[in-house]
Amino acid sequence: MATLPAFDLDPAVSAFRREVREWLSVHWHGEREAMHSRRPFKDRGYDPEFSRLVGQKGWIGLGWPEAFGGQARSPAEQLAFVEEMEYAHAPRGYLVGETIVGPALIRHGTPEQQARYLPAILRGEMSIALGYSEPEAGSDLASLRTRAVRNGDDWIINGQKLWSTGGDKSEHIWLAVRTDPDAKPKHAGISVVIVPLKQAGITIRPSIAMYGKTFSATFYDDVRVPSSAMVGGVNNGWKVITDALAAERVMIGGLVALLQRSLDRLTEYVKRAEEGGQRLRENTVIRDRIGALAADIEVARQFAIRNARLLEEGRTPLYEAAMTKVFAGELQERLGEAALDILGAGGLLSEDAPSAPIGEMEQVLRHSIMGVIGGGTAEIQRNIIAIRGLGLPR
Amino acid sequence: MAKEDAAIGEEERTLLRDTVRGLLAEQWPVEGAVERANDQAAVNRIWRSLAAQGLTKLGFDPEEGGLREILLVFEELGRASCPVPLLSAVIVSLLARRHRGAADGLAGLCEALHAGSAAAAVAFGAFDGDAAAGQVSFAGGAVSGRAAFVENAATATYFVLFVDAPAGVVVLPAGAVMSVTPTPGLAVPALSELSFAGTNAALVEVSAARLAELAEIARLCCAARALGAAQRGFELAHEHAKVRKQFGQFIGQFQAIQHKLADCLTRLDGARLTLDAAATMFDREHEDWRVFAAASLAYAGPALRQVVLESHHTMGAIGYAEEHEMPRHFRRIHADLARFGGAHRARAALADYLLGPAAPAR
Repeated sequence: MATLPAFDLDPAVSAFRREVREWLSVHWHGEREAMHSRRPFKDRGYDPEFSRLVGQKGWIGLGWPEAFGGQARSPAEQLAFVEEMEYAHAPRGYLVGETIVGPALIRHGTPEQQARYLPAILRGEMSIALGYSEPEAGSDLASLRTRAVRNGDDWIINGQKLWSTGGDKSEHIWLAVRTDPDAKPKHAGISVVIVPLKQAGITIRPSIAMYGKTFSATFYDDVRVPSSAMVGGVNNGWKVITDALAAERVMIGGLVALLQRSLDRLTEYVKRAEEGGQRLRENTVIRDRIGALAADIEVARQFAIRNARLLEEGRTPLYEAAMTKVFAGELQERLGEAALDILGAGGLLSEDAPSAPIGEMEQVLRHSIMGVIGGGTAEIQRNIIAIRGLGLPR
Repeated sequence: MAKEDAAIGEEERTLLRDTVRGLLAEQWPVEGAVERANDQAAVNRIWRSLAAQGLTKLGFDPEEGGLREILLVFEELGRASCPVPLLSAVIVSLLARRHRGAADGLAGLCEALHAGSAAAAVAFGAFDGDAAAGQVSFAGGAVSGRAAFVENAATATYFVLFVDAPAGVVVLPAGAVMSVTPTPGLAVPALSELSFAGTNAALVEVSAARLAELAEIARLCCAARALGAAQRGFELAHEHAKVRKQFGQFIGQFQAIQHKLADCLTRLDGARLTLDAAATMFDREHEDWRVFAAASLAYAGPALRQVVLESHHTMGAIGYAEEHEMPRHFRRIHADLARFGGAHRARAALADYLLGPAAPAR
């Protein structure tokens, strides 16, 4: 199958990429993948047994320091790993723990918190959702209102969170709460607590997001957690949250690999399909659009590679990461729309329709909105580029 | 597989960039760059200065710099709106690299170009990539045909013609070309059209594949030059947004302007990263370097053209006067990116790679 050639300049990265591919061919492709694909779409992406296999291999916490059980792999190796896993559609239900919670605990957690949670994350056994957004706090996260009030040795939590991916499947939630309602600026009154979801006072209301999986609203009614559940100290949550974003940056490369997979599925189809006696691959309009998408995917990949390179040099990609997210997110929309144009009405059909030309493309289009609005909307990312990258006045 | 180590390190590249930028700032300052471009003596002077720095030798000795370094210099030339005939010098150096010591006329030209005592213009003819670029053939010791969209023809002392039937190149002194017709338009300086009818010449045999490869390198050079021009135009708009006040505030505080400029930065970075990736793969002799080249050309074409449009929008009428620097960049960017088949040709090359070649047109 023709796909864009890899851009690995370091032989160690190429070797690791091969190792991951070979491991996936044994442990993922085949019966396990087939079984996973037979599950309803909304239940895919989580496979606890597979998570444990990845954990046993030592590939959860690839970038974590060795002192905390990680492999201290280079950002370029981490990127190659993420690309291979995403390209293979291998489920990574442990991702929030590995990329957000773990690095935050390594940096800000107490030794007790580290001892309690990090080994479970590394084994692929800790499921945790993010509790950030609220009805009145989306892009303006610092406006969040969910309150935590000190009561003896405990915190009492009241409020509501929205759009938590995996909220109905996780045991814990990484919750941003307001501990000082009068703080100025607003973000100086925020703290982070790890809250077990199965306890009195918590209501979880999942709904299906348009991409086909659940996200949940969670309600907190006098929920009691011990003070030991707070990470990074009282009113220090903004730093815990934003530091964790840095660890997440290399992960954007995963979306690019997903896009490459989608383009490859599309080109595979175009190569063999005919329409009205004409081979689709001879259609010059289709060729032109495929060429444009391939170029854009290469651009997105070079952005992801740059992020890894900056991290390798000890620098933090700020506007560069925002750029990658805007570009890759909007590219997914373009790709989904182009696929629909190329496939015609057949592109509307899902994998459940026996006559679907490529069942997964309509899902790519539905999913694309999430890439643009999730984890900081494209508008917020453009603000970051303008202010952090170009130094324009606020 | 690709070779691993690059001959030139990051520090040397920074030094090269600083040297070229410094030289151009001193000898080809922004003020008057537009008028100077039409002054043949001034172009000859800066050409000799570049030669004295060894920059006209780029491409001849891989140890002294690969395609990454060549593109870096083109970016600086675009930035400074400096119309020296480096494209032809690079092509001749790359050709002569393989023909070192051969008594075929290339070696002498190469030496003169390196010394800055000659200036050449290349006509890519059938290898250009644009359907209207013409075609040059060789038979019975003479060349015939026409070649369009040739740059630097007005100042050239030699012409290097890409011949497709049979494949090779022909070097002609300026006086031997039957006609050189300037073809004014968006490109400044103007491109030219050449014609030949049985002009006596000697053919240096070069495979068609090699000539196609050189044409692809020329496309990358021109894209890098457009990138330099787009970057400079963008910097003018960016600075303008920080100092220009309307409705009581700096226009750079308006989100409409901020997002416009943020998208421009994304396009510039995307073009630079992919061009650099293509050059890196070429320098490493990666078998698929052309895929990376096609991706960068397919992206940079529309992206950089959009950057200069948005930069103009941000500058408003202030950048619209021909005596301002902006129109020069506008012209350079469009001329460099619409040539050689443009982004359409590059997208077709990517489609060829992913879908297999299209059936030949009937």
